[in-house]
Amino acid sequence: MRPAASVLLLTTLTGFAYGLLTWLGLYVAAGAPPAARLLVLAGVGVSVILATLGLIASTLHLGRKERAWRAFSQWRSSWLSREGLAAVLTYPIALAFAWAQYRAPGSPAARSLGVVAALASLGTVYCTAMIYASLKPIRQWHNRHTAPDYLIYALFSGATLFALLHTLAFGTAALAASLAALGAFGALIAKLAYWRHVDAQSPIATLASAIGLPEGTPARPLDAPHFTENFILREMGFQIARRHAAKLRRIALVVGFALPLLFSLLAQLGTFPLASSSLAVACAALGLLTERWLFFAQATHVSALYYGRTV
Amino acid sequence: MTGMPPSVIEGVEAPRSGAAAGTDSESSLPLSSKSVAYTTCYMCACRCGIKVHLENGRLRYIEGNRNHPINRGVLCAKGSAGIMTAVSPARLTTPLKRVGPRGSGSFEAISWDEAMRIVTERLAAIRASDPSRLALFTGRDQSQSLTGHFARMFGTINYAAHGGFCSVNMAAAGLYSVGGAFWEFGEPDWEYAQLFLLFGVAEDHDSNPIKLGLSRLKARGAKIVSFNPVRTGYSAIADEFVAVTPGTDGLLVFALIHCLLEAGRIDTEFLVRYTNAHHLVIDDAGGAEHGLIARNAQGSELAFDRATGSLASASATGIDPALAGTFVLPDGRHARPAFALLAERYLAAEYAPEAVAERCGVAAATIRRLADEIAEVAFNQPVVLEQPWTDAAGRRHTHMVGRPVAIHAMRGISAHSNGFHTCRAIHVLQMLLGAIDTPGSWRYKSPYPKPIPGGLPPGRAAGAPGAPLTAAPLGCPTGPQDLLVDAQGEALRLDRAFSWEAPLAIHGLMHMVIARAFEAGPQKIDTLFFFMSNMAWNSAMNPGESIRMLSATDEQGEYRIPFVVVADAFASETVAYADLVLPDTTYLERYDCISLLDRPIGSAHGPGDAIRVPVLKPKRDVRPFQDVIIEIAGRLGLTDFADAQGQPLYHSYADYIVRHQRAAGIGPLAGFRGADGRGIGRGEPNPEQLRRYIENGGFWVHHLPPEQLYYKFANQAYLDGARAMGFIDSSAPIVLQLYSEPLQRFRLAAEGHGAHLPPQRLRERVRRYFDPLPIWYAPLEQAASHDGRYPLHAITQRPMAMYHSWGSHNAWLRQILPENRIYLHRELAAELGIEDEDWVWVESRSGRLKARARTMSGVNRNTVWTWNAIGKRVGAWGLKREAPEFRRGFLLNHVISEFLPDERGEAAHSNSDPVTGQAAWFDLTVRLERCAPDTPDETAPRLGANPLRIKRHTESAA
Amino acid sequence: MTMLPQRGTEARKMGLVIDLDTCVGCHACAVNCKEWNTGGEAGILPDYDPYGEKPDGVWFNRIHSYETGTDGCARTVNFPRSCLHCENPLCVTVCPTGASFKRAEDGIVLVDTDLCIGCKLCSWACPYGAREFDEQSGVMRKCTLCIDRIYDDSLPEAEREPACVATCPAKARHFGDLADPDSHVSKLVAQRGGTDLLPELGYRPTNKYLPPRRAQIQTAPRETCGAAGQGIGGALLRLLDKALSR
Repeated sequence: MRPAASVLLLTTLTGFAYGLLTWLGLYVAAGAPPAARLLVLAGVGVSVILATLGLIASTLHLGRKERAWRAFSQWRSSWLSREGLAAVLTYPIALAFAWAQYRAPGSPAARSLGVVAALASLGTVYCTAMIYASLKPIRQWHNRHTAPDYLIYALFSGATLFALLHTLAFGTAALAASLAALGAFGALIAKLAYWRHVDAQSPIATLASAIGLPEGTPARPLDAPHFTENFILREMGFQIARRHAAKLRRIALVVGFALPLLFSLLAQLGTFPLASSSLAVACAALGLLTERWLFFAQATHVSALYYGRTV
Repeated sequence: MTGMPPSVIEGVEAPRSGAAAGTDSESSLPLSSKSVAYTTCYMCACRCGIKVHLENGRLRYIEGNRNHPINRGVLCAKGSAGIMTAVSPARLTTPLKRVGPRGSGSFEAISWDEAMRIVTERLAAIRASDPSRLALFTGRDQSQSLTGHFARMFGTINYAAHGGFCSVNMAAAGLYSVGGAFWEFGEPDWEYAQLFLLFGVAEDHDSNPIKLGLSRLKARGAKIVSFNPVRTGYSAIADEFVAVTPGTDGLLVFALIHCLLEAGRIDTEFLVRYTNAHHLVIDDAGGAEHGLIARNAQGSELAFDRATGSLASASATGIDPALAGTFVLPDGRHARPAFALLAERYLAAEYAPEAVAERCGVAAATIRRLADEIAEVAFNQPVVLEQPWTDAAGRRHTHMVGRPVAIHAMRGISAHSNGFHTCRAIHVLQMLLGAIDTPGSWRYKSPYPKPIPGGLPPGRAAGAPGAPLTAAPLGCPTGPQDLLVDAQGEALRLDRAFSWEAPLAIHGLMHMVIARAFEAGPQKIDTLFFFMSNMAWNSAMNPGESIRMLSATDEQGEYRIPFVVVADAFASETVAYADLVLPDTTYLERYDCISLLDRPIGSAHGPGDAIRVPVLKPKRDVRPFQDVIIEIAGRLGLTDFADAQGQPLYHSYADYIVRHQRAAGIGPLAGFRGADGRGIGRGEPNPEQLRRYIENGGFWVHHLPPEQLYYKFANQAYLDGARAMGFIDSSAPIVLQLYSEPLQRFRLAAEGHGAHLPPQRLRERVRRYFDPLPIWYAPLEQAASHDGRYPLHAITQRPMAMYHSWGSHNAWLRQILPENRIYLHRELAAELGIEDEDWVWVESRSGRLKARARTMSGVNRNTVWTWNAIGKRVGAWGLKREAPEFRRGFLLNHVISEFLPDERGEAAHSNSDPVTGQAAWFDLTVRLERCAPDTPDETAPRLGANPLRIKRHTESAA
Repeated sequence: MTMLPQRGTEARKMGLVIDLDTCVGCHACAVNCKEWNTGGEAGILPDYDPYGEKPDGVWFNRIHSYETGTDGCARTVNFPRSCLHCENPLCVTVCPTGASFKRAEDGIVLVDTDLCIGCKLCSWACPYGAREFDEQSGVMRKCTLCIDRIYDDSLPEAEREPACVATCPAKARHFGDLADPDSHVSKLVAQRGGTDLLPELGYRPTNKYLPPRRAQIQTAPRETCGAAGQGIGGALLRLLDKALSR
């Protein structure tokens, strides 16, 4: 699948945004100190801005941007529609939560709204994940890893951001850095498990089955319908060299997960907490973008079978 | 007269889609919001009926005409893409006069008045001195009855159409054997065939009728066997694919015949009734009549009647003719039945399947099994129709019995230098099976069969310069006396057709015209006039050399070929080599007729012909070529085109179509003749004829009664009817020629007998190749020794979605094939270390080219192939300079020589069939080598760009 | 609405049956489809760079060719690919706007280009590559089964079939109601073992493909064999001994 910048930005930015909002919500629900009033307010602000940027980025790949509003109508069947709705619904919840926590820190309303904001955030991420996880023609997406992985990456990236904000507010990352470290570790395990899974998968279909011949019939492409690359090949036929992919995987593991784990632990231990938690965020962002690029680039689409690819 | 700055050829902006078609044409029909017009397609040569929809004066949709006998409502990719040809950027827009060096592409736009003045003055001067200095050669033309008649009345023998480089082997072998031919003059019996054998038919002739027919066979579960080196197209759906080595089909057919003879599974009754199998052949080695048919005093052929034990007229009814034995003629000479000679030849061990298997690349067991299957279907599954009929001997038959083995053969047979004999071998196989025009077999298309060999001898100059030729310039020689040669036996025609080099060149040798004109020089040729043919590119063997000769000059700087006129609708590669360009209309912008005098739309069910009508009115300054030729003929005062006072007889082609009479009552169109429009075939001109055609959907067909549908060569009701319609002059039966006496006449001359002898240098050649029974020899190019340097056969196929050079300027078709590959067998590729998409050198004895490879399994192990006419020369066809057709598309023609190996110049033999002059495209042998990895990502050779640059004058621009 | 319609058992399933045994790969259906639709209700099917370096465009139907079997007995299979109007079309349910829909009355899957936002998700959801993005108008396009032909009462009844079917020179394409077991297309599927493409993905395509087959001729044992030699002999001699009547 072609890794379009718009979707990479969307999923990465919203991951940070909704992950952060989730932690803020839980933070308040768990009884954040009154001193965290501004931290929560600022955090919700950051989350809303990042989410908005992500959503704007996602409209960039639309053929008809002016019609984007239509995307909210089909929530009964479409995960994309649900994602849009969830994202939109999360705005008032986030604002109400921030307002409640600002006006009455630690109030039952603020704490309940914190839980609701966390659920709405995770729900939105889940909807995003399910857009991919529901696509049967793409085995690298349509599996039991995709949805939990998206949630784990959101929680992980949100935690790094939470830790950074916490450091900015209080000079120390405290528990938030532990969450980030834990998140990084979880994300690392999840990613490895995901790669192990997709690498071990056998092709979900063969060319023989794609052209209606009995399973096992040897079949090879002779001529494609047209010589020039077409939409299907551009969009669904993206290919990446195995060696290149392996390199990127290592980069994603090191930059996206191992380094944030290390920096979060440093922040937790109080070693240059601001620098460490900033680096954790930066590495997570870079690493997750790489991971997301690979998530697309290494995804194969069944329709590419018709052009002689294995899927 | 201030010249405008040079600009590229004026074209319209590419439309966003076909919906925008018509940007510089407009509907010539009433501009009601929706209307339809019925006309005839011309995206290839099949002549399908089309229904053209117009909406608000623009082309909306072209579909097949459901009532049309050729395509019955279907339409191929090319036909459907016709809507885009109407907006092609390659369309010429105005008459052009060359201003730069020939081939540079520099022209100035001129008026039609000036263009007509130039061409008429030139032709008038030629005609006054030596009319043969005009050479008129037309391409995939469907107005040959007009252009040929023009040439005849002009008085030049130097006329032909594209048949010489297309399929003359099929036409000549068919006409000289059975009085019909594959494709144009015959078709398989799709309704009853149970076994269908396709020889050398890829995606080519013909298009929709074969596909329709194959589907009918498939629906019935009939078996389809394809003999072809490449498994694509029709071969793809064949039930059995026989990957025969190119050029060995004749040998394979002999092996089939061998098996059938060996098993005694032939139709002897058919042979003695309808062929010359029982005719006695004089056995008098060294004598002047050796090998000719023995005749009695009345001139009728003799047979030996076993019932009476005496000689009898071979056409007598009721005799029991001997097919074997040796008999003594009244003059004491011996004679043997033709069949005996045939059986002796093909029963020889050299034609046993085991003897030919390796050479053909087909296992002996496969050949034997196929022979069994052929015999099984022919003799154990006959088709018996409850249809009484009367044969030419007056016998009434209660049934029509047929052998449901149908054969179709085309380019893969014809494009070899042994193609004439191979095609004749196939016809002999058909005759032995009784599978000619019987139910389930191959059938004649009306107006065929014709008495063998199917036409008059070629016309020749008679009387003063400017007098019409004695007959049409193309014809069928029956012996040496009919050749067009001088006292020394050397060719009179520029292309050497009907000379000892190619005696039966009944379609001419268009592929040799440029080379021979270059050699002959201005004494013999003044004006080379091409219509609709791409002789500087894909229609030329060796395009690079053709281009060089077209632009060559002598010491004084004068062009070796003094004047070149090109008439075409599109900016082909050849246009740049014209001195004068006459821009034609597209097929949707003119009248045409698909005439019985040329190649009509008749079928086995009866005769038919069709018209084209102008659906769009061009806004370009172009004229239909046929109108132009008629105007030229009128201005020149040619007989049949001008009256006694020299006044033109016709104002347009449409006028000519209706009023011209070739013979009394016979004109270009056979339908709706006579004042009442009821005449069929014959009848006085009907001024309402075109209207009647239009009302009838653009065509006319006459359905033969069921009694006349089979055995046409000997079906008395058919023969009488055909004579009444003017198709044949006599209703005598047509005797199929298992043994070809005309060929023996040429051979006798080569042996020194008779008044017309070949030049010494050609005698052995003529003696060898004019065998009255089919022979097989290795294709001439391959026979030359190359020390095994070129071990691979190389052929081209025409893709179904492209017609030669006409596809690449079509916005839709070029998306399918904007570039081509050289295909080879996977095993061969592995051996040569070649992988898919690698660049490889394809090298022949005459040059090399660079192409990208693609591997496959469905191909003869020692054959490489590619699609025909995809590569283009930079600047042509209105394409942008970056077009893949220029950069990666290639022409195999670049490594095909027009001469046989080690020969060049006047004495050189053309790379053609020695009998018919058919261009031997598929004799090519090559070697393949992988290019160095750093090779540039483009084909070679790439000839320099020469797009048309047209100077326009302000007044004409205004 | 991109929820799939509730369709009764009596609902029609209009679709195509494509005969791979007969398809010669001529591209007629693809080109005629483009021609019909580009000037019809579907609207222009754009061509990009039509006379330049990378000619490309929108096609609702594309013709592949494959080789099947082993080298010794390879068969070339031509394969037209277009929308299969699935019973379970994920391309419809993933659509966030309702532009993609499946019609209740005949099962045809369509795109309302006035609603489409061009998110391309439907093309990701289609395993058959049947959806084509129109770069010029920014919306998704696809085969309409020629709804502007098959329901056009002004056409003679015989012509109310998709353009690809009407034009197919090899008659390898058939159109009809696959829900009706007595229809021509259903009978073809039954007789010829028509198959679904990618059945394992569960889209339940309406269109069916008829597999290639191989006609054979049974022959009786040969009368004579291998008696090759000079001159006429054996079976042929016996044949020639029989009296003939000209």
